[in-house]
Amino acid sequence: MMQIIVQGLLLSGLYALIAMGFMLIFSIGRTLNLAYGAYIMVGGYMYFWLSQQLGMPQVIGFLGAVSVGALIGLLKHRLIVKPLKGDAVAVEIATLILALITQFALVLIFGDASKILLPLIPGVVTVAGAQVTYNILAATVMSWIIILALYAFVRGTHTGRAMQAVSMDEKGAAISGIDPDRINMITWGISGALGAAGGVFFASYTQLSPQMWLAPVIISVAIVIVGGIGSIIGTLIVAHIIGFLEITVVAVLAPELRGVLTMVLIIGVLIMRPQGLFGREEH
Amino acid sequence: MDLRPHHFILWGLFIAAMLLMPELVSKGTLRTMIFACYLAMFAISWDILSGRTGYISFGHPFLIGIGAYTTAILTRRYGFPVEASIPIAVVVTMFGGLIVLLPALRIKGSYFALVTLAVMELMLQLIPVVRPDLTAGTRGISRLPALTRGAEDGYYLAVGLMLAIALFAWLLMRTRLGTALWAIGMNEESVRGSGLSTTRLKSFAFLVSAAIAGLAGAFYAHHLGAVTPRSIFDVNLLFQIIVACLLGGQAPFLDPSLAHSSWCFCWRTCVRQSALRWSSYGHFWSQFSLRSRDRAGSLSMR
Amino acid sequence: MTVALEVRNLVKKFGGLVATNDLSFDLAEGESLGLIGPNGAGKTTVFSQVMGELRQTSGTIKLFGTEISGLSTAQRIARGVSRTYQVPRPFADLSVRENIRVGLMPDSLRAMIFGAADKNREAELAQSIGFSPADLERPASELSMGDLRKLEFARTLATGAKVLLLDEVFAGLTTGEISQIAALIQDLRARGFTFLMVSHDLPAMEPLVDRALAIERGTLLAQGPFAEVLSDAAVRASYLGVA
Repeated sequence: MMQIIVQGLLLSGLYALIAMGFMLIFSIGRTLNLAYGAYIMVGGYMYFWLSQQLGMPQVIGFLGAVSVGALIGLLKHRLIVKPLKGDAVAVEIATLILALITQFALVLIFGDASKILLPLIPGVVTVAGAQVTYNILAATVMSWIIILALYAFVRGTHTGRAMQAVSMDEKGAAISGIDPDRINMITWGISGALGAAGGVFFASYTQLSPQMWLAPVIISVAIVIVGGIGSIIGTLIVAHIIGFLEITVVAVLAPELRGVLTMVLIIGVLIMRPQGLFGREEH
Repeated sequence: MDLRPHHFILWGLFIAAMLLMPELVSKGTLRTMIFACYLAMFAISWDILSGRTGYISFGHPFLIGIGAYTTAILTRRYGFPVEASIPIAVVVTMFGGLIVLLPALRIKGSYFALVTLAVMELMLQLIPVVRPDLTAGTRGISRLPALTRGAEDGYYLAVGLMLAIALFAWLLMRTRLGTALWAIGMNEESVRGSGLSTTRLKSFAFLVSAAIAGLAGAFYAHHLGAVTPRSIFDVNLLFQIIVACLLGGQAPFLDPSLAHSSWCFCWRTCVRQSALRWSSYGHFWSQFSLRSRDRAGSLSMR
Repeated sequence: MTVALEVRNLVKKFGGLVATNDLSFDLAEGESLGLIGPNGAGKTTVFSQVMGELRQTSGTIKLFGTEISGLSTAQRIARGVSRTYQVPRPFADLSVRENIRVGLMPDSLRAMIFGAADKNREAELAQSIGFSPADLERPASELSMGDLRKLEFARTLATGAKVLLLDEVFAGLTTGEISQIAALIQDLRARGFTFLMVSHDLPAMEPLVDRALAIERGTLLAQGPFAEVLSDAAVRASYLGVA
């Protein structure tokens, strides 16, 4: 029982981080950025390359991953999202294709075989009777630090509030003297950085492989939509629902069923309540 | 949209070239061509559902997979002859089409795309778990009865099937029904406002698309000789289908209605957008470089 | 005289907002009725309920004596009522001819697959609304606002409905186009079509209607001859801002 709670909390924190970066983009312009998976992959592999293949310090590996993620985010905004101007379906297809291209590129560079990331911090600790590796504990703690920092940034700084304004009403924000283009660019950059950070943690939680990106993308899309677009609290709640759901299924039913209930939940909510559980009604 | 003599000449040349192909190219290339033919059938099916009505399906491999798995299970587990299992596979896939249709009656756009993607992912996860005695789990079902011997026969079967499906789709899309489906993709409310029952039109498109996907999927399974969850319910297969449609729609010398239904369609607004086009080319080339690397034998894709 | 459209005690509520408040009116066959009221008075909401795009909260709508409240939009159109929209909604990539073709199609899959399009009827309809033969093959995406409105009118006519609800058909048109559409409406009236129309262009509407109906916040203010309704004190207060 304790095991489930602790594991659930840890996995949920990770999901929350990944979903958060996705939500930033989705709440501006309702862009379903399916290439979010590319950040996750690139983040994981960048960290692997810098810290494990080149033997650099872990901090450098992590920073490298995050900055490459941010860079891809900026490029994507500049090269795909802006030229396609609001044609939502075209953006979806183009970004998903981009994720596939990234996958192929990684296969060409690193090969198909999955890689194991060395733990961020080695060792095991017992929390409330449950065995937890320092690795996953560190990943979760870092995730929460990043989430809280993001929350403070969005709520507390001028740029953060401008991001919220643009997400609610781009034209209105433009009239009030905000440059939506600049804000959008910043948002894409931050989203890329968050995705890459999530990728590093996710890879250390499971493993690094060129196919690792799809499941987290679908899950984060689901978390964001089920949680209600633009609702940070809703996102956190649903990340925990899904995290606990998966851990419980694995522990109580069967490990193979892990993703099944998640997908059923996603399909059900999308059909029954497209505005999500905690979201405002969209017109 | 009127037909001109040069369209017939071009298509005649194309068909003649396709039929002469086995004399001209190596066995290995012929295998790639067989795959291309099946891809074209999948793409035609996708075009009828998504290209026409604008309901972008990210779950098409779901339909193909139903067709492939149905015939695989029937022939290998229950000893059905292929003549019976393939028609049954088509019917079963049409029921699968109804499953995709249900969300399309309520939601649109990105949400519909997402639900179909989730349905595909769900199948990928479910197949190994539900009745592994039938599906053989992640290992998949192998040693399906072959329909043809040798690459050459397989190629003629694939080309013949593709041409038949293309002709059927082309004829269907030239009717007023094709125009109405296309109109749904542009503005569903206005179609309803023109006195047409959009639910009925969409159901028809989804069923036809599913039937083609099921038929092509079943033949594809027998061509491969094996089905595994990973090889069918795969995003990459999905994007090969979509990219085939996007690039196929660009053949400017073909009559648009021909380009539409056979070498897929011209998803005009999108293909005009260069970013999407370039990413499609990117996908095509990365696919190509991976395939040629595989051919060189250094590593296998999976 | 037969009653083409009979609306009784129509009520539509959106949550707490009452968009149509106990509205009743009759539209005789061959009659033309102008529906006037300030922005947000609920004119378009009435149209949507007649067409079945919105379900009324209560009340009845009868078309040629038959209750149509339970029918789908397609079934209502088949029974002879059709509408245009304030913002034209054409099929952008289809030609003018094909747009009209969609309106002409029967609601039957079999007929759509095996029946051929009636090209003469398409051309005739396009011409009657003021398109030149050269316009027939132009895609709708190339048309001007005025042409789009005409196209929408043509597609609505093509459904074969005899009761037409026109929502702001004159908005965005040049004076020349207005007189052309007005002449067409007069022609259709002479041929027995029934009209319910909404327009902010009162001078253009006046000669086209037999009667007017003024509503505000979904409530009937006055009905009767056009000039009488316009001079009604309550109407002047709400619509023209004159006390």
